[in-house]
Amino acid sequence: MSRFLRIAPEPSPAPDESNNAASVRTRPRFFAAATLTEERFFLILAVFIGLFAGLAVVCFRLAIDWTRIGLLGPAPEPHTLRVLFVPVLGGLLVAVLVIHLFPAVRGSGVNQTKAAFYIFNGVIPLRTAIGKFIAAAIAIGSGQSLGPEDPSLQIGATLASYLGRRMNFSREKLRLLAPVGAAAGLAAAFNAPISAVLFVIEEVIGRWSAGILGSVVLSAISSVVVVRWFLGAQPLFRIPPLTVFHPTELLAYAVLGIVGGFAAVILAKAIAYLRPRLRDLPRWTQYLQPALAGLVIGLIGYLGAPQVMGAGYEYIDQAMHDQFTWKVLAVLAGLKILATTLSFVTGTPGGMFAPTLFIGAMLGGAVGGIERHFYPHLTGTTGTYALVGMGVLFAGFLRVPMTSVFMVVEVSGDYSIIVPVILANAFAYVISRSFQYIPIFDLLTRQDGLDLPSLEELREETTLHIEDAMKPPPTPVLDSDETVHDAALQIQQASFNLFLVRVRPSGWTSITRDLLQRFVNEGKGELTLGSLLPPQRLAYLHPDSPLEMALRYVHQAPLVPVVCRADLRQLEGVISSEDVLAKYRMAVE
Amino acid sequence: MQEATVKRVIERPSVVIAILTAITLLGFLGVGRLTKRFQEQQRALARHLYQQGLAEQQAGKFDPALEHFRAALTYDRDNFQYQLSLARALRDSGRTDEAETYLISLWERSPQNGAVNLALGRLAVRRQELDKVIQYYHNAIYGVWDANPEQNRLNAWFELAEVVLRLNARPQAQAELIALSASLPADPQRRLRAADLFIQAQDYEHALTEYRRVLQLDRTNTVAAAGAAQAAFKLGRYRTAARYLEAAAKADPHDAQIAQMLQISNLVLEQDPFSRDLSTEERQRRIRIIFDEAGQRLDACMNSKERQMTPGTQVDPLPPLKAQWVQMRRRLIRLGHAGESGLADQVMDLVLQIEQQTTACTPTTQDQVLLLLAENRGAVEQ
Repeated sequence: MSRFLRIAPEPSPAPDESNNAASVRTRPRFFAAATLTEERFFLILAVFIGLFAGLAVVCFRLAIDWTRIGLLGPAPEPHTLRVLFVPVLGGLLVAVLVIHLFPAVRGSGVNQTKAAFYIFNGVIPLRTAIGKFIAAAIAIGSGQSLGPEDPSLQIGATLASYLGRRMNFSREKLRLLAPVGAAAGLAAAFNAPISAVLFVIEEVIGRWSAGILGSVVLSAISSVVVVRWFLGAQPLFRIPPLTVFHPTELLAYAVLGIVGGFAAVILAKAIAYLRPRLRDLPRWTQYLQPALAGLVIGLIGYLGAPQVMGAGYEYIDQAMHDQFTWKVLAVLAGLKILATTLSFVTGTPGGMFAPTLFIGAMLGGAVGGIERHFYPHLTGTTGTYALVGMGVLFAGFLRVPMTSVFMVVEVSGDYSIIVPVILANAFAYVISRSFQYIPIFDLLTRQDGLDLPSLEELREETTLHIEDAMKPPPTPVLDSDETVHDAALQIQQASFNLFLVRVRPSGWTSITRDLLQRFVNEGKGELTLGSLLPPQRLAYLHPDSPLEMALRYVHQAPLVPVVCRADLRQLEGVISSEDVLAKYRMAVE
Repeated sequence: MQEATVKRVIERPSVVIAILTAITLLGFLGVGRLTKRFQEQQRALARHLYQQGLAEQQAGKFDPALEHFRAALTYDRDNFQYQLSLARALRDSGRTDEAETYLISLWERSPQNGAVNLALGRLAVRRQELDKVIQYYHNAIYGVWDANPEQNRLNAWFELAEVVLRLNARPQAQAELIALSASLPADPQRRLRAADLFIQAQDYEHALTEYRRVLQLDRTNTVAAAGAAQAAFKLGRYRTAARYLEAAAKADPHDAQIAQMLQISNLVLEQDPFSRDLSTEERQRRIRIIFDEAGQRLDACMNSKERQMTPGTQVDPLPPLKAQWVQMRRRLIRLGHAGESGLADQVMDLVLQIEQQTTACTPTTQDQVLLLLAENRGAVEQ
């Protein structure tokens, strides 16, 4: 597409834009000349981004499957040399591509999208998407233990960024386009639009914003429509009958949460430890690292567990349908942790979502199998445990608690599973937080030398309120109906000089000791305070308001009343600029 | 000037949207072609793997067969035939839990499918879960079949009857067979199979009816004749039995069982004291002979070494029977008197008791005849 939306000077800005000269200068003529505003066009573009991302992800999935069939054969079997050597050769090829042609495709696509959002004004080079497409297809197709979701997310984000740049969107909108495309890419890869939207909100944008939510939802749905159009509406794995027989079975799900939490910690710790060390090795070793990871994975496949190769969705499906014993499931989970760690830390392009789901499903199935062994009358289907296990690893490893719950519900289409999912995910999340304080995405960002905002920290940041800083109401509190003489009598014992006055029918003002004395000296002792005080009222605050709101008012008066919402004449406390600053200082310390 | 006009035109929102739409359509066309090719390739791979799996399954190599079925489903995962084959392979390799989970997932998608219900029914048979057996087999019988629905339904019904008999649920088996026989076409083989199952279910009345239907369709069917004879014999209708047995014996003179049944039937008919055409004297003579033979049987058994008391019984039943026999012999002189109209039946009751209580002593053919005569009073001539 050519640069058909060129910025042009605006001859007569619209009335609502008259106060914003900067926006007039940077807005393309396209939006001013037509009735279509940039906001509306952004929404329309979100649909096209979804469609393009969906098409790209369909191609990406075909590319992975063709590569896999071409390289590993239609049904990889143990004890064949192909299984042993293809991952090695694939690793070598990927290393050359990454080092010489597409250096930007190393690392997490989620973080690169976040970086585009927070640092690079929404700009992701198109070359990154092309590189990710090719390198990830070869890596996953040749058996590296990685998934297609992260690359899909980045491909979607890159397409969105490219379209936005070609149309000269404002910087603000351009920044928002990357998450819109990311949601489309992820939704297409997962075939689950709600989870994708939640993930992008939870992990990339970090806040619920009406301005972007509509676009993200539209793009996600559009991309899923495209994927379903071409590849069918069925989910990545078929969902077996889900059953939770008895409330006591929830104990088993709690155990699953604990096991999954520790598995997530092991995976995260292994990546955190190995990744920087491998990156610090001499440059020539970068050529060999993916191949060595491939050798280990090939060996695992050769010796009898080809299930750990590639994304492994078909094996998740099999695990969910009781086609492995719990011992096999446990072994596969362990081997997948090893294989995924090696694939990821060696810089091989690919995502962590599918391996996370794989490990979770296998662990869940194993826990379900063990429970069935000891309590056959209590246990639901293995599929139920495997599905909950996927959510558990999502919550524990990726640390996206909301997405983890909704992902399971969306994929299963069964709300009856939500209680075990929430329970198990909560255990996994708490354990993961306890033993691996920094979430994996933040950890990778810091290892890459970037300082992107930690969205988990943002989510859990405590907000200070007025009630945290306010002081008890000073006595006496005067009333505007009182006479000056009565008021003077009341303040005789007080040790301070400023007094709040309650005004009828509502409102507050203040009076100093000196002013009151002056009224007395002027012989106005029998007049009411209300008749003498100026009509200006003090601003007031409520105890539950954010503390930052006090900053707007404390400079107007030395003492701001804090009143009850139900009765504005009832004084709950007072707040001053010193109180606000003292509280902030205390919070920082 | 012309370039400026072009630029102005393509900066219009409608033009931009039109261009994006055109790109989308082109993308759909291109990806559609790719997807079609991809899916064709996937289906071909699936077929190939499925055929390999079938060959291995037939060769009894269940594990490789399972792997190939699974691989086939990777490429065509909604193919019902592949799924069903995988489930059957799982079941046949003894992985019943996996098979059941798999089959239930198929059943939930297609609860009316006859083949799935039949597979689930067979799985329930392995687990001896009678309720589920009946439920799934009935679903199969009344379900939807892709090919040969009538034949598949009847086969499932026959299988259900056999299975229920194996699970010792005779009344249920009889009920199924009665319903099945009402649905059977005029096919001697199927009716013969139903009649044999009636025999196994000990429903001799319906068995005899079915054998007769077979013989109506195929008069030369000696198996049906033998079956009819057996059913009539079991019903105590020895005249009918003898007629069919003679036909069967002609067809297969070396069949010892038929010969023995024929001999017994003839003896029963010869000694039957309740035969309609008998004179009073002859009837009384036959009763007396039967009574005497029963007494001899009792004596012989009382003196026999092979007789042993049934464990747990405190009282020997034979001496009281002997006392009854002696008492009855005194009454027997009044046989035929006006006030003793029920005496013949009382004699036969005693004979029945004697024969039943002397089973510990090896019975002779005559003992069998006496027992049958005492059991089937009045029906023998049918």
